[in-house]
Amino acid sequence: MRILLYGRLAEALDRQIELDAPAACSVDAVRQRLQANHPAIAAALARSRAVVGGAAAPDGQAVGPGDTIEFLPPVSGG
Amino acid sequence: MSVVAQLEAHALDPQLELAELTEQARGDGAIVTFIGLARPESKGGDAVDALVLEHHPTLTRQSIEEIAVACAEKFDVSHVRVVHRCGTVPAGEPIVFAGAASLHRRAAFNAADYLMDRLKTDAVFWKREVGDSGSAWIEPTEADYADRDRWG
Repeated sequence: MRILLYGRLAEALDRQIELDAPAACSVDAVRQRLQANHPAIAAALARSRAVVGGAAAPDGQAVGPGDTIEFLPPVSGG
Repeated sequence: MSVVAQLEAHALDPQLELAELTEQARGDGAIVTFIGLARPESKGGDAVDALVLEHHPTLTRQSIEEIAVACAEKFDVSHVRVVHRCGTVPAGEPIVFAGAASLHRRAAFNAADYLMDRLKTDAVFWKREVGDSGSAWIEPTEADYADRDRWG
């Protein structure tokens, strides 16, 4: 499973990482696994929005090993 | 009615944007614009050399367009124009131009106010101030979210 990170998440870890994930799991399970693997970004991940296929992905959405999940920390323009 | 929503990777020229909006607004009675500048000092008082705006390859442009279109639908305006920088913006230079034209002034004032409240909290950028003391990420404050939420 490919994970794309932005902002402070990318700065702390990397822009793209690979995550070993079960055949089917939820967005929230992916988030929790990332938090467990990378405690330094756990708090920022908790405040981040997940996106799959260009659309907001709720915690319960099912994802698989072939998916790309993006985590977007709080955004701000202007 | 026209809606312009642009992501700009190079220097933004507010005079040019105003000229374009004024040209479009022939027949209107009001234009209100806002220009956001990169501050030379952080909230903590540290000198800031530049504001770096990281953006998403697709969602950033979508978010700016969605905000501009929502503005045009919400207020009685004839034209909405948003141009937002990405990349590195040196202190003192423009980050964003947000403008609206309408027959009467109130709609244009409200539209410009709405555009900025939405851009502050919903435009897909990740901002950090860079200076001698290092780099600091800037996220919306509770006040910023409250400003956005007052529009319903």
